[in-house]
Amino acid sequence: MNDKHITELLDNTPLASLSPGDREQIRSHADMCEPCRDAFAAAQLSAAVIKERAQLVTEPSPFFQTRVMAAWREQQATESGPALWRLWKSARALVSSMALTTAALAALSFMVSAPATTSVLDQTAAAPSAESVILGQDNDDQLTYEQVLNTIYVDEEDK
Amino acid sequence: MFSVASRFFRQRSLVEEAAQEVFLKAYTQLGSFEGRGSLEGWLTRIATNTCLNMLRGSKRRPEMTVSDLTEEEDQWLEHQRSDAEAKSVENSVVAADLADRLLSVLSPEDQQALLMIDGEQASIKEVAEATGWSESKVKVRAFRARKKIREAMERLLGSKREVMSR
Repeated sequence: MNDKHITELLDNTPLASLSPGDREQIRSHADMCEPCRDAFAAAQLSAAVIKERAQLVTEPSPFFQTRVMAAWREQQATESGPALWRLWKSARALVSSMALTTAALAALSFMVSAPATTSVLDQTAAAPSAESVILGQDNDDQLTYEQVLNTIYVDEEDK
Repeated sequence: MFSVASRFFRQRSLVEEAAQEVFLKAYTQLGSFEGRGSLEGWLTRIATNTCLNMLRGSKRRPEMTVSDLTEEEDQWLEHQRSDAEAKSVENSVVAADLADRLLSVLSPEDQQALLMIDGEQASIKEVAEATGWSESKVKVRAFRARKKIREAMERLLGSKREVMSR
């Protein structure tokens, strides 16, 4: 039993968790085996430094909460930019197709209504102006002074 | 959160940086918490993974040699060998410094396993829950880390003896 080297036993389990039987085995073997004695001494020191290291806990500074809140606000601010970008990316195809359709419809309506607009303009030009209608200055309907006299005389002669 | 981060970092600024990141992650991922385990366990896992990610980029140091020992560390080793019960705050800091330098040859994952099991007396199951690793993986990591640290300490003590005998 004592002839068996103990290094595997030392590495398998934390020293603090070794059973009394295992401890006895380690001690009795370490007494007669120098390499295992060195290994046991090193294991004890390693366990001691690791235990000390594990007990060190850093406490938060008084400003830690403020720091976290500031970081959180910053994160929220940077996330709002990418959120709009994501929204644009998802809606980009829809918006583009809508814009294209609108442009096509506008072009189509312009082409179809272009002759009609011309005729309306022509009609507008040919039509008597509002002023002439109101004042009775229509050239076609207006008789000259001579025509009026002739008309009167002819009528009287006929009578 | 701070105790988990303190396991990985000694510098206050790094501990706070890690804790802050954990808080922000926890807040944004709160919706993904399914309530199957405890909230503490969920936070511990986030904290562990955050710290491991922060450490993954850092380089491992070469193994410590006797010439790297500070005077205090040298005295601490002597002191511990002669009287294992002696303890003071200064000694604890020196021991923690020495531990950090020995642990720096290990991967962050192996450090984590060793510090939790040997330092905090956590069970294999507790480490598995905190890290998300399988129990056999935790055992392998702890065994490997313990062996490496013991061998490094053994070499350190051996070369110290050599220096003393000259």
